[in-house]
Amino acid sequence: MTLDFSVILDNWQLFASGLWMTLVVALLSIAAGFLLAIPVAIMALSHRRWLRTIAGAYVEWFRNIPFIVVLYIFFYGLPFMGLRLPEPVVGGIALAFYASTYFSEVIRGAVLAVPKGQLEAARAVGMSYFMGMREVVAPQTLRLLLPPSTNTAISMIKETSVLSTITVAEITYQGLVVQGATFAPFEVFLTTAALYWLITSAFAHGMHRVERAAGAAQGSQQARHSLADKYLQLGMRRSK
Amino acid sequence: MTRPLLKVSNLAKSFGTMTALRDISFEVEAGEVVCIIGPSGCGKSTLLRCINYLTFPDGGFVEVDGTHIGREPGRDGKVRMQSHKRIDQLRPMMGFVFQQFNLWPHMTVLENIARGPVKVQRRPREEVERQARALLARFGLAGKEDAYPSALSGGQKQRVAIARALAMEPRLMLFDEPTSALDPEIVKEVLLFLRELADSGMTMVIVTHEIGFARHVADRVIFLDGGLVAEQGPARQVLGDPQNPRLREFLAQIHEVAAPADLSTPSH
Amino acid sequence: MDFDLAAFGDAFPRLLPAALTNLTIALVAMTLALIGGTVLTVLRTTGIGLLTGAIGVLISFIRGTPILVQIFLFYYGLPALGLDLTPIQAGVLAIALNSSIFITEIMRGGLSGMDPGPVEAAIALGVRARTIWTRVILPQLYIRILPPLVNELTTIVKGTALLSVITVVEVLRTAQQIANTTFRPLEALLAAAIVLFALNLAISQLGRRIETRFAARRG
Repeated sequence: MTLDFSVILDNWQLFASGLWMTLVVALLSIAAGFLLAIPVAIMALSHRRWLRTIAGAYVEWFRNIPFIVVLYIFFYGLPFMGLRLPEPVVGGIALAFYASTYFSEVIRGAVLAVPKGQLEAARAVGMSYFMGMREVVAPQTLRLLLPPSTNTAISMIKETSVLSTITVAEITYQGLVVQGATFAPFEVFLTTAALYWLITSAFAHGMHRVERAAGAAQGSQQARHSLADKYLQLGMRRSK
Repeated sequence: MTRPLLKVSNLAKSFGTMTALRDISFEVEAGEVVCIIGPSGCGKSTLLRCINYLTFPDGGFVEVDGTHIGREPGRDGKVRMQSHKRIDQLRPMMGFVFQQFNLWPHMTVLENIARGPVKVQRRPREEVERQARALLARFGLAGKEDAYPSALSGGQKQRVAIARALAMEPRLMLFDEPTSALDPEIVKEVLLFLRELADSGMTMVIVTHEIGFARHVADRVIFLDGGLVAEQGPARQVLGDPQNPRLREFLAQIHEVAAPADLSTPSH
Repeated sequence: MDFDLAAFGDAFPRLLPAALTNLTIALVAMTLALIGGTVLTVLRTTGIGLLTGAIGVLISFIRGTPILVQIFLFYYGLPALGLDLTPIQAGVLAIALNSSIFITEIMRGGLSGMDPGPVEAAIALGVRARTIWTRVILPQLYIRILPPLVNELTTIVKGTALLSVITVVEVLRTAQQIANTTFRPLEALLAAAIVLFALNLAISQLGRRIETRFAARRG
């Protein structure tokens, strides 16, 4: 059989609107998720045990269940609590909560990666714990935060596809609509996938440039896989 | 005799089942330089960190010029703990210079020095920066204001760390192993520098494992062993004619191991 | 409306057997993904530009696109190309392909931290590349990457819930079926969440136990 991509061109407006919806929902829920993650990370880093336990339970719960289940629980749970909201908003809220658990782990890791002496030096000149975190620790976490945050954000962009199951008219939903009308599933879902590929690649590329500008990519980038490459090279030489 | 500038009484600290400080008491007069020596693991760094409450001691008192920090006896005789806010306020009365200096890598040298006074004491930035520049000039670091710590040598980093502590206008300075993170060849330079600081009247408590260093800088030496003050007195007496057998053993070992690196030429 | 505890409790007897479907699918997909990931890792070493280039594109594509869309490609797309698959088959293959990409990346990371000494010694002794892989590199590597592999298995279990969308009757789909008769979707969904949570928690606990055993043996 031959592939016929004219069905894509005929329905380009649907894909375009889906792309827009995906971008908006992803951007807003990722931003909200990151903000929500900050208090969770602060709790997880607290020296008070009960705060750590609450944060830990919150993170463990969301990280061990599929996003589609989280989404359905919000979808039925919010009206249950008397909150009737449009589907894209419901989906965005669910994704923000889901993302917050991943971002909180990223933040916690970055804070723990800053040497303990940095905060102690702040305390020694009389800064409180929070002032020391703000003035000394937080600025140093920024470059540590970027690479894992980019990865998490890309995962969340991909998770937006699940919003199609509650009829949010994003890319995957429009793909299902077009495939239902044209019966050209391979072309349609290849196009759908290509659109996500475009978004995630562009995002990764953009963030990589930000990292470069922040000076985080210096040196370590090359060093990281050199040994792996060495192994791979070894295998290659021998197999010739 | 006047009131001591620093008074440490019955300080105790344990980590789990490990007792770091058993019962430590000593006093430091204004203008005095006191070196705390002892075998590694004797709790000398813990002692220093308990003095300014970077680590909270389990018991005992610390007074700076008559003001209690942390635990204080109330009028009713009951001991109570000050609020964290109060402790944070009192802590910069004692400047602390870390073993690894712990300069903030994302700030310039000038900012490392100025951030504390500006944020904590809320002094005008202009005045603080003028003072910071003066400190840098005095420490031979003029022109390094806008450099980042990564561009400095070990000795320079240490002087910035000292300037950062001094900018808070502390009553005394605490040094944690000031020579251990530095190359052996600049140890003498550090010695001369700390000596100069002492000559300017600064009260200093220095934890060190370099006996030669203690001999040349300290007015008084405290030998810590097993979480207790095992011996203390004028430097010449403690190091020249030790009474405590453990101290004798300790000094003998040090001489065997570190004799070549000893600072044999006094600075004056 | 109040939370119906009875409906919540009644969901479990039906959800628990359904969890076996998730677990089975996950284990089959994991096995396939381990094979696929290993093959990809070895293939990447051949040094044939076209092959490594193609693998690179595949990795980028799979990592850059949602697994749900990949599942749709297998479920809707392959039959259109003349390859008929049951929903479970399509789902298993989609998840396995997705996971083998992540596993080959995990293996690459694991290789970078390994001591090159034994491999260099083997090369110096003239041992064949194939033997080096099967006897020297891979056994060490699998033990080394056990923690991220266990993590990957929990990701796969989460992926199995997506197969409800293509009519595979697993935990989530069962919960929906229950809700269709009781009209209590929230209760059934929360029960489903707890079942899946427990499954993943069990997997990560088991992984942790195996890990400490290996650590003890090495130490």
